[in-house]
Amino acid sequence: MKCVLCGREGVSDLCLYHAEAKERVEAAYPKWVAACGGIDWKDYLDNVKRNPQTGQWAKEIAEHLQGV
Amino acid sequence: MDRGYTLVVCEKPDAARRVSDALSGGDSKSVLVDGTTVFRFTRKGEEFVVCSAQGHVYGVSDPSDERSVYPVFDVEWYSSDLVDEDSAGAARRISSVKKLATGASKFVNACDFDVEGETIGYNLLRYACGGKEGAALRARFSTLTEEDLVKAFDDLKSQVGQGLARAGRARHVIDFVWGVNLSRALSQSALGSGHRYRTVSVGRVQGPTLAFLVEREKEVRQFVPIPYWKVSGIFEKDGRKLTAGYARERVEVRALAEKLRKECVGKEAVVSEVRKNIVQASPPVPFNIGDLQKEAYRAFGFTPSRTLQIAERLYLGALISYPRTGSQRLPPSLNYRRIIQGIGAISEYSSYVAELLKPGLKPVQGAKDDPAHPAIHPTGEKPRRALDRSEWSVFDLVVRRFLAAFGPSARRELVDVTLAVGMNEFRLAGARTVFPGWMRYYGRFTGYRDVELPNISEGDKFRVDDVLVEEKFEQRPPRYNQGSLLEKMEKERIGTKATRADIIATLVGRGYVSGESMEVTDLGLTVDETLGRYAPSIISTELTRGIEEELEEVERGEKGEAALLRDTVRSIAGQLAELNTNEEAVGEEIDSALMMTVAKSFVLGKCPVCKAGELRVIRSKKTKKRFVGCSNYASGCRASAPLPQSGTIKTTVRPCEHCSWPIVYVVGRGRPWRLCVNPACPGKKKP
Repeated sequence: MKCVLCGREGVSDLCLYHAEAKERVEAAYPKWVAACGGIDWKDYLDNVKRNPQTGQWAKEIAEHLQGV
Repeated sequence: MDRGYTLVVCEKPDAARRVSDALSGGDSKSVLVDGTTVFRFTRKGEEFVVCSAQGHVYGVSDPSDERSVYPVFDVEWYSSDLVDEDSAGAARRISSVKKLATGASKFVNACDFDVEGETIGYNLLRYACGGKEGAALRARFSTLTEEDLVKAFDDLKSQVGQGLARAGRARHVIDFVWGVNLSRALSQSALGSGHRYRTVSVGRVQGPTLAFLVEREKEVRQFVPIPYWKVSGIFEKDGRKLTAGYARERVEVRALAEKLRKECVGKEAVVSEVRKNIVQASPPVPFNIGDLQKEAYRAFGFTPSRTLQIAERLYLGALISYPRTGSQRLPPSLNYRRIIQGIGAISEYSSYVAELLKPGLKPVQGAKDDPAHPAIHPTGEKPRRALDRSEWSVFDLVVRRFLAAFGPSARRELVDVTLAVGMNEFRLAGARTVFPGWMRYYGRFTGYRDVELPNISEGDKFRVDDVLVEEKFEQRPPRYNQGSLLEKMEKERIGTKATRADIIATLVGRGYVSGESMEVTDLGLTVDETLGRYAPSIISTELTRGIEEELEEVERGEKGEAALLRDTVRSIAGQLAELNTNEEAVGEEIDSALMMTVAKSFVLGKCPVCKAGELRVIRSKKTKKRFVGCSNYASGCRASAPLPQSGTIKTTVRPCEHCSWPIVYVVGRGRPWRLCVNPACPGKKKP
């Protein structure tokens, strides 16, 4: 199965690299909630996507999750 | 040539000239033999002929001409011009040495004393001189100064480097067998997927090094920053203001940062503690090659391979000692005083010499030692020709590091001030050099910065004028640069001091990493991923490190090379079998990455005209000429530009500062040149 984001082979609709990036994006959410005193999922994804420090694959995942 | 002379074999032509000048007192005659220059002279009644290789003139290859055939385990040593098209002069050099060997009664190996030099000398003496590798004497030196060379030839040794030569030859065989088999397996797999042949190489040290880069690349690309807040107070007294940071550098929760602000603004702050400390800063240890490469990267941005090339030129000019050394020690057998006096004759350093030349000169020493050569140091000779800018930079760095090693420790005053606002504490830190010691000699390379604080005493009171709360984010880890990658390879003990820089350059050359940032390409990611899946040992640090350790045992004469070669062949055969079983899958993965890499190499950047498409390198079907066009052509964008028709076009990240069109580098026969592809760019001067 091809990754919907980059076309690499993957076991699901994501390749290994993007699947790991997705885990990281999801794992960081509770930390953002605690740090900001609450932030909803969509705002969080938007912040992650726009942040210049976010890695390329994490950014692609944030954008992908916004569309889901 | 007459019978009975001593034939001296050097590693490079410049070294041969130096040896001849030193031994003959500048009275040697140069003669052409088979188109290569050799030197003849008489010394103490003995006739000498000095000839040279040009680096490696013998190389390992397989007897078959078929580059698609593998596995290959039976290999031979051949004249380098037969195995490497860049070594065209090797046959001429070998022929010259063969001719000279027939007239020689005594042989001296005067190649650089390390694994590579020993291998070069051994091969010439064995193959070109008719089996003289055992009978030849060894001239051992660490600089090409007259004093050192005369001393080396007055004290010729026998059989000193046989272990080094055996290890060197074994390393060449292992690296060839490893590289040729695995590279052919990968290239053939990709070819099997139906596309054009392209070499997909993977060397023994290249694999694990690529794995380090990929590991970091994943961390960078998967990074999700977590916010935190930085709190700092602005304190005011008698119109004077100063800024101090909150005691905890990071406040993890925004609400806490805001609470702090409310608690402190407008309140009184008392200086509760002023702590001053004098600390000693020892001089940096003398350079080995890795340290020099890292420092030159930090100071000038030179890649490790560039620094090594420059250092070798300085060595051949007798300005610095042999650079491929692992030692951080300057042994007392070096004439410190003579070297420092010699340096004093160079105007840039003359003022330091009187300060340093005191009785009991003793340099700081590092922990690492190398039995073959001391740490890199200047010879004390003045440059005989004008050095170019990069040569001068490296020379200056080596000289200053050497002088700094003899300097006293520096003293720095560190000041920590604590301001209490109720229960909350803010901190200010200052530092200044109170005694420069060695820093004076190391100059601009020192790297310490002074932060002066105003006069503050315990009990001083300030008013908290404001508290700033700044939202910050964790920084993603930096990619390796060529300096830090070299450091990682040293730490993991893979590669050698002589080969690490070349391995990094090969990774760039093969397209596995791109640019200064060492970003791993799709091809690099796929090669690493595919190997990790089907032949994990190839990218394992442990296997490569294990081979290095065994090669070191061969060098020290503690182990024979035959068993090591046998074990390595067995290991490679196992990996090849695994790759063969999965040839189809391996081929598809590599081929797909190759296609993506090729496609990306044609994209120059965003189109500045329509702002939606990408400017790409396109080849006209009609004229076969290449030009720049927009991917949005079908939607009406007509942005286009001509391109030079010869040379390779390399893309860059930054657009032109004048017109925002992409910048490319055109790499041809000469120096690469930078080009804004926009023919109407306002930054281009009109003729």
